[in-house]
Amino acid sequence: MNGWILAAALVLAGGVGATLWGVASGPLRRRVIAQNLTTALACPALLLLAQGYDRPSYVDVALVLALLGPVGTLVFARLLADELTGDPPRAWGATWAVAGLGTVVVAILCAVAAPGRATAKLLVTGVLLIGGNVVASRALAGGFGGVRRG
Amino acid sequence: MTDAVIVVALLLVAASATVAVATRDPERQALVLSVLGVVLAVLFTVLQAPDVGLSQLAVGSAVTPLLLLLTVRKVRRRPRRKEPPP
Amino acid sequence: MNRRLRLWLVGVGGAGLAALLVAACLDLPRFGGDRHPYGDRAVRASLSRHTANTISSVNFDQRAFDTLGEMSILFAAVLGCVVLLRQTRDEHRDRPEPAEVARPVRGYALLVLPVALLTGLYVIAHGQLSPGGGFQGGVVAATALHLLYLGADYRALERVRPIGVFEVGDALSAAAYLVTGLAAVLAGTAFLTNTLLPYGTFNTLSSGGTVPLLNAAIGMEVACAVVVLLARFLDQAVEIEQDKGEGEVRAP
Repeated sequence: MNGWILAAALVLAGGVGATLWGVASGPLRRRVIAQNLTTALACPALLLLAQGYDRPSYVDVALVLALLGPVGTLVFARLLADELTGDPPRAWGATWAVAGLGTVVVAILCAVAAPGRATAKLLVTGVLLIGGNVVASRALAGGFGGVRRG
Repeated sequence: MTDAVIVVALLLVAASATVAVATRDPERQALVLSVLGVVLAVLFTVLQAPDVGLSQLAVGSAVTPLLLLLTVRKVRRRPRRKEPPP
Repeated sequence: MNRRLRLWLVGVGGAGLAALLVAACLDLPRFGGDRHPYGDRAVRASLSRHTANTISSVNFDQRAFDTLGEMSILFAAVLGCVVLLRQTRDEHRDRPEPAEVARPVRGYALLVLPVALLTGLYVIAHGQLSPGGGFQGGVVAATALHLLYLGADYRALERVRPIGVFEVGDALSAAAYLVTGLAAVLAGTAFLTNTLLPYGTFNTLSSGGTVPLLNAAIGMEVACAVVVLLARFLDQAVEIEQDKGEGEVRAP
């Protein structure tokens, strides 16, 4: 029985399952928030899986997700700005709750890992993940002004 | 326990792929596709294929939504040609 | 063909496919079993050539010819896009307007751009050691450049992205892959055989013979190809407009 993988399965089933429901139904503003939260939840799950399988190189997958996930949300925020300005999506409660989960996971994994390059990579991933998702939430809540062509 | 997480990932992939097929509006479909990409990457990772997972993440998280939304923008903005009367 | 016939055709085809799939599934090895004849041979071959990541060994050594095919597909696809999405005679270019971007978003984009570029290069360079490689790293690096469009505006991206250079880079790196393969022929072995360079120390950056070279060529090819592809889409969506009066009858 591997607690790390169990934790990852719980995050995936509960968290990503919920965001999948969010992205599948409702108005556009709910869907973009759910898309952003999917990244923020899948990344800690990938970190937990890397620890559970005892494969430090799997952290690369989480690192790339932490980098490109918020970039994907910025794409939506930028190109759907016209649809979102009238009714800007705001979900700061959920955003900070998920950011808290990410912080806890990264902190626990850093405490378990031996200090060194692995810890540095984990910290970089954590900073990119949490910073990226908070900024992406900000971008969705009116980060891009109206632009006619650009 | 390793099997449980595989089952969870498979169910998520099946659900999000079905939603992607059932969504008609291309903008909302792009959102679902980006979630499907993340879930697929998780599935590849739990099946011990992180190389494929990385490929999926690299392509699916930013490049595919950008291509789709740019295409939608171009098609929507295009002025309608006047059809000649039959 | 009427609707009824089409439905029948789909039904018969689908049923046949389903039957074949079920028959194939019944004959599969059990899920998670420990008999992997191909895997064992691939791992042995990759270890004998000091390549820590077996996937990279398969892609750039044991099946390097297949990767050449995949690279050609990407090259041809991007070439097709460039030809299809060119500016036609009845279209003109408008200057793109800058978007109003909130300060934290702009700051984030400009801060993450170099980090993402570095991560892309890291993923390419460690292709023979850890998960990743030329394709993944190339896409990450190309995506990084487009943070300039997201965080600022299209004109800022155009200033740092001379499209001609990327088109030449795409062709050059595709040629570099071929030349590396031909070098093996000149050395007296088969095309793309990994016997040219010393295999190096296991699990270091300089290991695996020609694997890191081919990996780097693919990384550059993919990065340039994605930049060129996105440039065509961005041009169409942002700059190229159809001329007014199209489709109307003009007086002679």
